[in-house]
Amino acid sequence: MTERPKVIEKPDVLEQPDILKPQPPAPLVTFPIEVVVPEVRQQTPAVGQRATRADGRLHGLGQTKYIDDMYFPNMLFAKIKRAGIASAHIKSIDTKEAEAMPGVIAVITGRDIPCNSFGPSLKDQPVLADKRVFHAGDGVAAVAAVTEQIATEALEKIKVEYEPITPVLDPLESLKLETPGVHAPSSNIYGHKVIKKGDVEKAFAESDRVFEGTFRTQMVEHVPLEPYACIAQWDANGRVTVYSTLGRITLGRADVARTLGIPMSRIRIVATVVGGNFGGKNEIRAEPAMALLSKKTGRPVKCVFTRAEEFTSSTTRHPLIMDYKTGVTKQGKILGRKIRLVLDGGAYCSWSETTLGKACILSAGPYNIENLYAEAFVVYTNKTMTGAMRGFGAPQVCFAYESHMDDIAKALGIDPLEIRLLNAFDEGSLSPTSQKLHSVVVKESLLRAAKRFGWNGIGNGGNGNGA
Amino acid sequence: MVNVTLKVNGETRSASVPPETTLLRLLRDQFNLTGAKLGCDVGDCGACTVIVDSKPVNSCLMLVGQVEGREVLTIEGLANADHLHPLQKLFEHFGSLQCGFCGPGVIISAKALLDENPDPSTEEIRDALGGNLCRCTGYTKMIEAIKGASCILRGEEVPAVKSA
Amino acid sequence: MKSFEFFAAKDSNDALTLLAQHAANAKVKIIAGGTDLLADLKFAAHGPDVVVDISRADDLKNITITEQGLSIGALVTHTQIMRSPLIRQMFPALVAAAHTIGAVQTRNLGTLGGNLVTAVPSMDSGPTLMALEAMVTIAGNGGRRQVPLSEFFVGPRKTILKPDELLVDIIIPEQNLGKPTHFLKFGLRKGQALALVNVAASVWVDWEKHAFLAPRIALGAVAPKVIRAPQAEAYLEGRTISPEAMAEAGRIAVGDAKPISDFRASAEYRRHLVAVLTKRALESAWALAQTRRLEGSNGKRNA
Repeated sequence: MTERPKVIEKPDVLEQPDILKPQPPAPLVTFPIEVVVPEVRQQTPAVGQRATRADGRLHGLGQTKYIDDMYFPNMLFAKIKRAGIASAHIKSIDTKEAEAMPGVIAVITGRDIPCNSFGPSLKDQPVLADKRVFHAGDGVAAVAAVTEQIATEALEKIKVEYEPITPVLDPLESLKLETPGVHAPSSNIYGHKVIKKGDVEKAFAESDRVFEGTFRTQMVEHVPLEPYACIAQWDANGRVTVYSTLGRITLGRADVARTLGIPMSRIRIVATVVGGNFGGKNEIRAEPAMALLSKKTGRPVKCVFTRAEEFTSSTTRHPLIMDYKTGVTKQGKILGRKIRLVLDGGAYCSWSETTLGKACILSAGPYNIENLYAEAFVVYTNKTMTGAMRGFGAPQVCFAYESHMDDIAKALGIDPLEIRLLNAFDEGSLSPTSQKLHSVVVKESLLRAAKRFGWNGIGNGGNGNGA
Repeated sequence: MVNVTLKVNGETRSASVPPETTLLRLLRDQFNLTGAKLGCDVGDCGACTVIVDSKPVNSCLMLVGQVEGREVLTIEGLANADHLHPLQKLFEHFGSLQCGFCGPGVIISAKALLDENPDPSTEEIRDALGGNLCRCTGYTKMIEAIKGASCILRGEEVPAVKSA
Repeated sequence: MKSFEFFAAKDSNDALTLLAQHAANAKVKIIAGGTDLLADLKFAAHGPDVVVDISRADDLKNITITEQGLSIGALVTHTQIMRSPLIRQMFPALVAAAHTIGAVQTRNLGTLGGNLVTAVPSMDSGPTLMALEAMVTIAGNGGRRQVPLSEFFVGPRKTILKPDELLVDIIIPEQNLGKPTHFLKFGLRKGQALALVNVAASVWVDWEKHAFLAPRIALGAVAPKVIRAPQAEAYLEGRTISPEAMAEAGRIAVGDAKPISDFRASAEYRRHLVAVLTKRALESAWALAQTRRLEGSNGKRNA
């Protein structure tokens, strides 16, 4: 007997999706807005008190003004033409057709930038690429129009002639001396750091086992919910005011002054409320181009990146290729460790030097290692530039050294917690750069965490996840 | 050009805009209601969430022609000049927003949830916030605030909340 | 977004009239929920000349039982599917599939018809309907025609719809009403993720022989369009129900799949998922069949 139904049953009532039924109104419950004003000379409580964010209320009311929420009379809207090719010579840029469009007020290219290079350390970024494209997200021209729609349409009318160059995409290729320089004649290796301690080769010779592993991490975008935005307003006195989502306005002011060729005293940068930074808004992007468009038109100019531009034309987290070699005793005590880090720097330096240093210093992990050789390189490739992001290289090396520790523990048949307790820093331990460490609670933290999630070791009835 | 008339936060508003204008652009550029944000413009992040005919939607994914005659509620319609909605009060109290860019969308999603479900479980709140991305605070404090607001709306005490 | 002319249709007939007026000499796009269309048009190099809005065509928003079976209007939103008492009772798999699409906001806008017309191979509405041998009704100015959903899809983002035609409704045939069905999706995240692989399985049971009858397995994201797994189905037809048989059907279904490697997953991983998800979907469909038998319900309303 099968269960195939024979009779069609019509529902008593025609289906009425309940979402379409009118909803009862929510009970009206409101709070009067309270303002706490401390009395004169009264000590306002701080320590141990619950703090309420000063900006929390306006955020919740939707009244916080981010840059895209700001409007100035007569304001223009700007869009930037992206190269869309990883590496090329720019033979010509024809903006005539775009300039002729009704509603387009001004177009600029890299040739209009007085000093077309900037950067937090190396000055290797153009505001708009003029002779050479270094990565696909490079801007090649900027358009200011009466609406964003017109500015976007004008981008398609800009004709750029490229002579493609074979791009360098693999950081390990870039590391080789024979690989053509992304920023020739400079070498592709634009940062290098070595940390040496003891004699690592001797330690390997004395070790019971030597383990090797290579670990890679990917490029990561910050994805702040607010895309990059700025408004520039050049006044008749030759002063420019820039409203920017920049996290480092003083540094940004210096870069704007350099690129525009005007003294810092003529530049005012207004730091607005930032809709998420995470390291991705630590240097200027389109500010000088917007300032020049404002100068050319005599009107305020706003530029907001699309989400796609936020991915291609802002900084990202460095992908790392990490080679680890570690010599240990049978019991799992680390005698020596050798590390090579290769950081994919993308097209421009940005905050690579900070990232390189921090990744290298932290690459050995929170472990007492007498013999250490850590070497780190950061190289140019024709990809989206990498820069500051929460941790500056620390998360990448942590992934590598902890994965490496697990591999070693597994091969030696030691509990992964035990091998860490055997090697971890103690109070007063020296870091790889011989800094004496205080308030060290690595072991206590590990033990407390293990207890909290019920760790009882791999092979002791657990599955390694404490379950 | 498309002529559009709709109710926004209880007020009848009209505009004449190009047909490719989205509801989000209409609200922000024509009506100066900048509470709903443009985060991704493709319906992933939820920063543009508004309520249309009692359903939360991505306002970046509706054309103006589709909202003719409809009723829209934005974050600006949730509170008047000197009173907060319980959700806004508790989001402030619990520190549920850091940069705040996602906030208006999250609160509108939460409001739509509480309208239909006065006592949602944690799982139901998570599902309701599935279309709202936050990059700073995370969702734990938002869920606490939404639970607290649901207590207030039901006329119950909010557990473990000190009066500000 | 490129500019276009916009027309709002009052109902499906009005939509057909508008399509007839414009489709011959202009590029026309139909907008329903807009969740896929607008996301595409914002970055498209060449947009449509005319957009016809059908979101007000209330005659395409019904969920009803007809003589043919369960008819779901093309404009029924994913939220409506999730909340329909009729569908919740008959086909929890359709509810589960709708729940995995996008998020609340996109489910409130997005429609079943829109999801099918977009014809993305990883669509979440497709497999369950395919496993239930659904038909689609297409209206044109020459009249209406019905085709099996399996013939509706041509390839990635391609269907048999002509520029002046409209998808009207989706019909789950009468003989499959209440058929125990299960849908599974594997994405990289719980929310707002595209399926690496999605699978639906439906089974009738011959209780005397303890065997599968009319097993139907549909796979998504492993071919240019949603596909059935004919070899796995043939293996299970009339076969005694056992965990081994369901596991074997999963392995056979791998041979029916033709996955590609992309940035979301490798072909190898997708093949692995096909085997696992097919087995689990069959197990759950079988479990539902048992539950319904115990409850004395055949999954139909008031049964």
